[in-house]
Formats: sequence, structure tokens, C-alpha cells
Amino acid sequence: MSGIAHSARNVSPIPAAAGIGLRFPHHDYVVRQHPTVAWFEIHAENYFGGGAPRRTLERIRADYPLAVHGVGLSLGSADGLDPQHLQRLAELVAAIEPGLVSEHLSWSVIGGAYLADLLPLPMTEEALQVVCRHVEQTQAVLRRRILIENPSSYLQFAHSSIPEWEFLGELVRRTGCGLLCDVNNIYVSASNHGWDAQAYLAALPAAAVGEIHLAGHALRVHSDGRSVRIDNHGARVADEVWALYRRALQRFGRQPTLIEWDTDIPAFEVLLDEAAHAAALMPTGPDSDHARAA
Amino acid sequence: MPGLLELQRAFSAQLLSASARLDGESASGFEIYRETATSTLVNALRLSFPAVERLVGAEFFDGAARAFIPNHAPASAYLNDYGGEFADFLFKFSPAAAVPYLADVARLEFTVNRALHAPDRAALSLARLRALDESSLARVCFSVHPSVSLLQLGFPADAIWRAVLDQNDAAMAAIDLGCGPVRLLVGRDAGGVQVRRLDAAAFEFSARLFSGGPLHAAIEPASEVKSQAWLAQHLREGRLVDFQVASAADGATPV
Repeated sequence: MSGIAHSARNVSPIPAAAGIGLRFPHHDYVVRQHPTVAWFEIHAENYFGGGAPRRTLERIRADYPLAVHGVGLSLGSADGLDPQHLQRLAELVAAIEPGLVSEHLSWSVIGGAYLADLLPLPMTEEALQVVCRHVEQTQAVLRRRILIENPSSYLQFAHSSIPEWEFLGELVRRTGCGLLCDVNNIYVSASNHGWDAQAYLAALPAAAVGEIHLAGHALRVHSDGRSVRIDNHGARVADEVWALYRRALQRFGRQPTLIEWDTDIPAFEVLLDEAAHAAALMPTGPDSDHARAA
Repeated sequence: MPGLLELQRAFSAQLLSASARLDGESASGFEIYRETATSTLVNALRLSFPAVERLVGAEFFDGAARAFIPNHAPASAYLNDYGGEFADFLFKFSPAAAVPYLADVARLEFTVNRALHAPDRAALSLARLRALDESSLARVCFSVHPSVSLLQLGFPADAIWRAVLDQNDAAMAAIDLGCGPVRLLVGRDAGGVQVRRLDAAAFEFSARLFSGGPLHAAIEPASEVKSQAWLAQHLREGRLVDFQVASAADGATPV
């Protein structure tokens, strides 16, 4: 079988520039208009099949650097990774040779049931060992380093004993994986749990960060006056998140930065506008804390 | 302190359940996960069953989907595979009893959706078949393209499906619901998913051919000439992707 054969010559690295999350409603626009976008990122699971979506993806892949973002591997499942899902991911990665591959610090599958959301993990040594084992398994099957994204969350477990940023740092240290720093997720979780978003950012191992995500979120106010921020990817990036992104750029330097939009997907021009905003904030040189320290 | 497996099992038991409620501080956070998971799955079903949704309306569809989901969690995050049991669920779903053909339309839509997303496979090279002698040819066992299915339905679900998606009220009104079963061939070609009606003889031949048995067993003497034409059409349309030649002792060997 040649399906797994890998030729590095076809990999286009993801530039440290602003990219856009590619969704089905924009397939035709991208193929026909060929907009100026530094790179695209896809959700892996949308392309596990064949037919028209794969044909379109191959055309787009020929013209743009492409990153693959998994949303359903469920690295935090206590009962192991689904080998078929991992195999499908490996086949997609082998076929399109993306510049980056990422997944989430979360779980979605237990007992053979997919629960259709990125669910929170207790921050315990046991969970850390499970996630480390699955990151190592994934990196071995894909034969490449992956980036792990910090989650947004709406509840914490009382028995969690490790701060999330330390959990991520330890994951990097034990597995050699990289980090996908979702700035909106940090803002949402910090706001929901009373954490200090800037301290979270400052605690991440800067050298491991290989990509940044930006998206919009919703603010829901309950009748008792309490509020919760919901990471719905359904709006423009909030001003507070842009401010936190500036801090992230200071700390991590120029990074591939993705605009994500998944709910009430707008015209492509809106995403171009958000990407231009991100690009305008990027420093022109590698003048980050990380680069200075290096 | 619960172990991770125990925690995830408890979380799972309550997440898609219609009745479960958590108490206390974490209840509202848990509800957000439940809402997101449920609406993701409702949307997945909506994308796979657009004609069913048009037939019953968005609100009814939403209710049916929410009744289906708690006992039918998907097996993986590859949601294009989700909803295989939705047709059987609708068949038994008493609020939908007024639309007796709904389950058949759902069966067709699931089959169409599977065809749409099936893996790509190159069509069988005819040169490989031409290289066989007459006796080997009779013992050829074909592999079928993963997008290809045969479907026999009690109602003319193909006509209903087309009329509903085209919003063609005149075509819908002209459908004879009592016209007897329809036998359908569903598959994907370069132009997209095709749904074709077959007559009983072509359907039975194709079912035998697609089951992986030897060619001679698929051909009935009475319809040998027609069988050659049907086979040629399946080959031309790329519905057959590989073959093995069964030995005289009936074991198949790769060629």
C-alpha cells in the first residue's frame, strides 16, 4: 500500500500570517474568486469521506497552505482512542500533507458514543497521563508533531488539582507536542471561572506555541444576574480578545493566526476583514519575549 | 474523587438524556454542553434529511430529532455516518403516523447521503476483464463501489424526494402513493449522486452481482442477454471497482 507514503516536498508550511477557517458555505467562493488569504484551516472530520468535498479540498490545497484541525479524536477519553477515527485522520493527513495538524485538550467519546461537543477534563494527574498517552499515540500514527488547543469551558471539577496552563505545559514537556493558543478560549474560560487571562497567557511555554486561534463568542446573562461567556464562533472577535491577542503576539511573536466562524456563518468578506485586522496587529519582525530570550 | 472513566460515563449518561438535570453550581455550565451537543446533532440530521424536514416542517423535525438523539448517540465524530437508525425511528414515531411514507423518504435520504460521502474508488479497468478467458469470466466476483446501494421501498420515495426538494407541488400531487414498491439503484458518478429505478429483473440481477458471488450465479438463463447489458452498464458507470476469480472449487483468488 502506498496510502501512507509521505513525500515532504509537497508540504506547504503555514506562514506566520492571518488565515481563515474554511467552511462548506465558502467552498464555491474560494474556488471561483481565489481570494488573497495566507492559508486555510479545515476541520478534519468534514473531509473523511470522498466525492465533491474532497475534490474541492484538493483544488484549494493546490493553491493555499492548509492546516488540519481535528475536532473529534477525543484525546481525553479514558477508554482509549477510536482506532478507526485515528486511521481516517492519518489517511487525510497523508493525502493532503497539511502544514500543521492540531487537536483539542478535551474529550467527546466514551463507551463508543460521540457526545458532539468538546467536553471538559478534570485537571488531574490521571487525566494528564491519559492525554499524554493519546497525544503520543497520535503523533506516532501521524508521524508528526501535533499542536494541542487550550479549551473553552463552562464548568470546573471540584477535584481538579492542576491549573489548566500548568496541565498544558506538562503535556508539552512529556510528549513534545506543540500548543495552539486559542486566545478567545482563554478569555472565555478566564471570564467564566474568574481566572486572570493575562497570567494564563504568561504561564504557557512560549516556545511550544505554533498557532493562534481567534473567534467571536456570546455573552449570556442569567435572570439572577450571573453571566456566562459562550464560545459559539458566531460573531466578530471581541475587543477584549483583540487586546489579549496583542499580548499574545508580544509573548509568542508573529504566529499563524486563524479566524474561526462556525455559527451563522457570514459572507466571506467579513472573514477577510477579521483576518486583515489580525494581520494589522502582527509585529513586522520577530520581536517577541520568546525571540528575545532565544 | 471519581476516576476519569467513571466521571466520563456519568457525564455521558446525562448529557444526551432528555430528562436528566444536575443540581447546584455546575448545572448551568452542564446545560451549555448539553445544548451544544444536542443542537450539533439536530443540525447533522437536518443536513442529512432535508426532504424529511420539508415534509414535516422545521419545528416537527426538531422535536423528532430531539426524541431520537438520547437513545441514538453517534458512534464517532464523522457525522456524515450519523442517522442510520432515524428511518426506523420515524417508522415507529407515532406523531409522524399521518405521513406514512416518511420513513421510506428517510431511508432514501440516508442512502443518498452515504453515497454522497462514500470514499473514492477508481472504476474497474476493463482491460483486466478482457484478459480473462471465458471460463474465468463466468467465475468473476465483483467488488462494488462504496457509494452504490440497492433499495426496495414500499412507497415511491424517489418521486416524493425529488418533488419535495424541487418544491414542485404539481409533481407531488401527481404521485400515486399506491403504485407498489419501487426498486432503486443509488450511486455516485462524476455528476453527483444518481437515484435510478430498476425493474424487478434488473434489481434482482444487480443484488446477486453486488453480493460478491460469481457472475454465472448472478445470471438467470431466461434473462442472459439483458444481464449482459445490465453488467455493461454497471461497468460503464464505474459501479464495479475490483474483482476476484472464484476457483472451480468456489474459493476466490485475486487476479
